[in-house]
Amino acid sequence: MSAIRIENLSKIYRAAWGRRDTFAVKALSLEVKQGEVFGLLGPNGAGKTSTIHLLLNLIRPTTGAAFLFDRPVTETEVHRRLGYLPESVNLHTYYKGRALLNFYAALCGVPVSQRESRISAVLKLLELEDAADKQVAKYSKGMAQRIGVAQALLHDPDLLILDEPTASLDPVARHQFRGLLLELKGRGKTILISSHILSEVEAVCHRVAILESGALKRVGTLQELSAGGSTRLVVKETSGTLMEALAATAAEVTWFQGQVTIRCQDETVRRSVEALLREHKVEIARVESEAQSLDEIFFSTIKGDPAT
Amino acid sequence: MKTILLIAADGVRALIHQRLLVGLMLASLAVTVAFSVFLSNARTHASVSLSGDRVASGAPQSNEPMSESDQRRLREQTQGMSSMFQAAFYVVTSFGGSMVALFIFSTAVAAEIRSGTIRLTLSKPVSRTQFLLGKYLGGAAIMVAYALIASLAIFVFSKSQGLDLSPAIKWAPWLMFCQQLMLGSLALLLSLFVHPIIACVLAFFAGNGFYSPPNPLYFILPSYSDFGMFSEVLQGAQVDWKDVVFLSLYAFDFVAIMLLLSMWRFRTKELL
Repeated sequence: MSAIRIENLSKIYRAAWGRRDTFAVKALSLEVKQGEVFGLLGPNGAGKTSTIHLLLNLIRPTTGAAFLFDRPVTETEVHRRLGYLPESVNLHTYYKGRALLNFYAALCGVPVSQRESRISAVLKLLELEDAADKQVAKYSKGMAQRIGVAQALLHDPDLLILDEPTASLDPVARHQFRGLLLELKGRGKTILISSHILSEVEAVCHRVAILESGALKRVGTLQELSAGGSTRLVVKETSGTLMEALAATAAEVTWFQGQVTIRCQDETVRRSVEALLREHKVEIARVESEAQSLDEIFFSTIKGDPAT
Repeated sequence: MKTILLIAADGVRALIHQRLLVGLMLASLAVTVAFSVFLSNARTHASVSLSGDRVASGAPQSNEPMSESDQRRLREQTQGMSSMFQAAFYVVTSFGGSMVALFIFSTAVAAEIRSGTIRLTLSKPVSRTQFLLGKYLGGAAIMVAYALIASLAIFVFSKSQGLDLSPAIKWAPWLMFCQQLMLGSLALLLSLFVHPIIACVLAFFAGNGFYSPPNPLYFILPSYSDFGMFSEVLQGAQVDWKDVVFLSLYAFDFVAIMLLLSMWRFRTKELL
């Protein structure tokens, strides 16, 4: 059973008066397995939050369908297994922290007998015990974010949907949150996390999907995504004519202590270099794959430059 | 049902923290108190003027009992003052209540959408129908409290002034409550289409006071005016309980239709 299944999902915002329609999500198909930590990446306007809103049935798809635990997202009961943290945590400010959590626990159907212990546990986990009896209106942004996380964890859900969870947290709280995510990952929870902080996603996610302009560009594990990246071919014998021929390709050639390292940026370059080596009857001593960081994968996928 | 009650209780909690609502209620109460003080002074003035008339007509000023005609005049004047006082009280509380109802119901769902708090609530196992009904119920609970306070206030003020209650006044708070529920249900529906302020204005002026049968608009638009008890209270007229039952049924039918339309609209509303 998959925790999240998205089938050919599209969301188009129709514009009036002859203006162009906005495609928030374009024919998106995805599957997140149970127990998987899945990262949703993309620049602003890529469709991450729209996808999450579609999963929560806050907006209606133009085409396609979404399922949580193989049940349509329109079924309210499936939300018993779901914890959600929105991008900007807007809370009912007229409650005190503990009372707010009590309200959400009651809505989630946490039995009265267990409510107090659950609330105390999440308050302790998120280091909010001192703020529990404080009016939510007086919470700092970071505290509001933490109480937002607390309400998402309150009923011990099987699936967590976190939209930019660390956006308002300071570096210390961000580090603690990463620890919490790893703990939840260890407990087999399914987590869908949308984030701009690539290092965070890289550290916790099993798989990632990269969205751009509402469309899915790439999906897979980091290893899968980095396959097809740069490769280094190491040769020990060389000649002047081979060096000249290599210099004419797009490969980067370095010579050090009688060993030539040829860096091929992609498969096409690698194939042409291998053909040259065969032509000159030079044996390849070693092939090294250069693992790409998520940053490199991300920027190469969205065809952007970190500097821009 | 438990979920609806939880949302309703949350709605009540939210409303009692609304400064504008509390301000409206206090203003309504202040105007009512001002009216009662004004009418109390007017009544004293009427008694003094009656005594003055008696002196002018040569009647003795001692403790001698009033003549039968003087007693009748004083009774008539007092009764007139009493009816006027109660009618004025009714108008102020009814108008104030309408304003409170418009504010409560037009913002009940719209404010949650605008602030984004609805996203967290609907991420829990809460259906949109439960949310909407809970919000309406919370608003209705505030209106019940308002009607009860108004009833109690009119009783206490009348008794403290030694005035008899007009026969129509006993039904007035109930009918006022029914009218406010109608007004509120229409404001709630309209707030799912337009800005709450526009919803308030449209709901307030949507009554069919401008139309009469056989104009079809008479049957479509709400009949707020039929719930008004001003002239009955002022004239001390009796109100037939059958009319009250009929009006109550009409109000609940109207509210049910408005809520069904609201649910239909809310089920497909994009909660951005």
